Amino acid sequence: MRTVLLSTLLLVAVTAPVRGQELVSGVSQDLIQITSNYTGSDIVVFGAVEGQTQNQAPGAARKPKDVVVVVRGPDADITVRRRDRVAGIWINHDAADLSGMPSYYFLASTRPLSAIAPADVLARYGIGIQSLKPDAVHSHHDYEPFRQAALRHLEQSKLYSQVPGGVEFLSATLFRAHVPVPAGVTRGQYNVEVFLFRDKAVISAQSTPLFIDQTGLERRLYNFAHNQSFDYGLATVLMAIVMGWMSSLLFRRPV
Amino acid sequence: MEIYLPIADMSVQWIVILGMGLGVGFLSGLFGVGGGFLLTPLLVFYGIPSGVAVATTLSHITASSISGAIAQWKKHAIDFKMAGVMMVGGLAGTGVGVWLFAIMRHAGQMDLVVSLTYVPMLGIIGGIMLNESIKTLKAQARGNAPARIYPVNHVWIHGLPLKARFRQSRLYISVIPPLVIGFLVAVMSAIMGIGGGFILVPAMIYLLRMPTNVVIGTSLVQIIGVAVVTTLLQATSNYAVDIMLAAILVLGGVVGAQFGVRAGAKLRGEQLRLLLALLVLAVAARLLWGLLLPPSDVYSLAGL
Repeated sequence: MRTVLLSTLLLVAVTAPVRGQELVSGVSQDLIQITSNYTGSDIVVFGAVEGQTQNQAPGAARKPKDVVVVVRGPDADITVRRRDRVAGIWINHDAADLSGMPSYYFLASTRPLSAIAPADVLARYGIGIQSLKPDAVHSHHDYEPFRQAALRHLEQSKLYSQVPGGVEFLSATLFRAHVPVPAGVTRGQYNVEVFLFRDKAVISAQSTPLFIDQTGLERRLYNFAHNQSFDYGLATVLMAIVMGWMSSLLFRRPV
Repeated sequence: MEIYLPIADMSVQWIVILGMGLGVGFLSGLFGVGGGFLLTPLLVFYGIPSGVAVATTLSHITASSISGAIAQWKKHAIDFKMAGVMMVGGLAGTGVGVWLFAIMRHAGQMDLVVSLTYVPMLGIIGGIMLNESIKTLKAQARGNAPARIYPVNHVWIHGLPLKARFRQSRLYISVIPPLVIGFLVAVMSAIMGIGGGFILVPAMIYLLRMPTNVVIGTSLVQIIGVAVVTTLLQATSNYAVDIMLAAILVLGGVVGAQFGVRAGAKLRGEQLRLLLALLVLAVAARLLWGLLLPPSDVYSLAGL
């Protein structure tokens, strides 16, 4: 595993222009195909931070470096609805449309985020679930409770997760993080961002795209339903008629 | 084994869905009801989004009505002219129903619509069925024949204009009542996912005073017509029909219906009717419970 990682890393190092950077990273897989029996998988984000460089001031090497890996899914428009009791029954009453929230968000870091950098620095880079804010909001009320509810729901469905300690150093320079990709993720372009922190500031960052696509019968049916919806409806109706008719032929009553 | 439904966007145990199709199909074969009024809430209880449940149940209704319609057609027990007139009302009703469906779904109120329309409907049907089967059981215990209900003479219906002759039904009545009945049942079909036979049949007997031998066949033609058009409209305008879900339900439904028909020939119907009444009331109670009980989380997410 280690040698595979290293050789892949070498390949990345050769192909990517990394000269002058302190951070090199890569992804074990840049395309994930979700098929009908997909129940989730893992990808590995790996990389290396350069060792002590010659022009470093003495003592600087002692300061800890932190790595934060963020995987962000394509943006989604999320509608959050709140039930209220109206005339004795619980109905969806208020709603907030939050647009531009990531459909998937995973974060792994070497240490708890609060130990790595202050909140304002983290927020600037969109690091941490709590820093995720919609681009636009359509709501008649204060949207904060709706945002909190969205974060809570997405964490419950494992679409948002945050793992302090999820980045492990295999050696002084080589690190690795496992990124779970659960079933039910949105298809599209994902972004893998790796941040290198020192002295509570980002000193280097790298971003790699990752594509998630859905394949198989279900995807084709979905496309069929949306692109040729009349034919799709007709196919559904014909299936029902033919099966109903067949059953009356096959099970003809002996009367 | 789990199977992914592309439109409902969820994984389900296909054996559970097949079981629902079989069970409801069995009941429809046994009692000659379409079963949409049970299938839609069952799918919702299982977690299928209300909109998809309503739109997809109509495929199950189409399939289970076809074999009945073929049998009635062979017996020449269909008044196609009457069915045609009701279908004209039905087409308009379908359009209105699918439009209402789109509005309510967009507002995120499809769950509410299903609960609010089903609770009174199932409550009334279940109540009437329970009442009738208890009466019949009591009458049988006393050894009397159950009392028959005679059609009421609705004078106002005969005063309406646009009269037409319906040869098969031996009627000369205005086309307005069948148009209105077709329209109303089609609206309900589209927003509730029911065939509406349990409304059509009594309306045709007691309001239109059609002879009972043509009522079943004619109502089946109307139900199939409305279900087919609604499925097409729901597929093209609301993308709410799940073909995978439909296939499993239809398979279960047609097989279950055949067993139901066979069982109905052997079993004593009244005790079973009592059980069906209790089942219908239980479903109504469960839906009512969901409306009254505070939800575990007042927030819900849509759009992912």
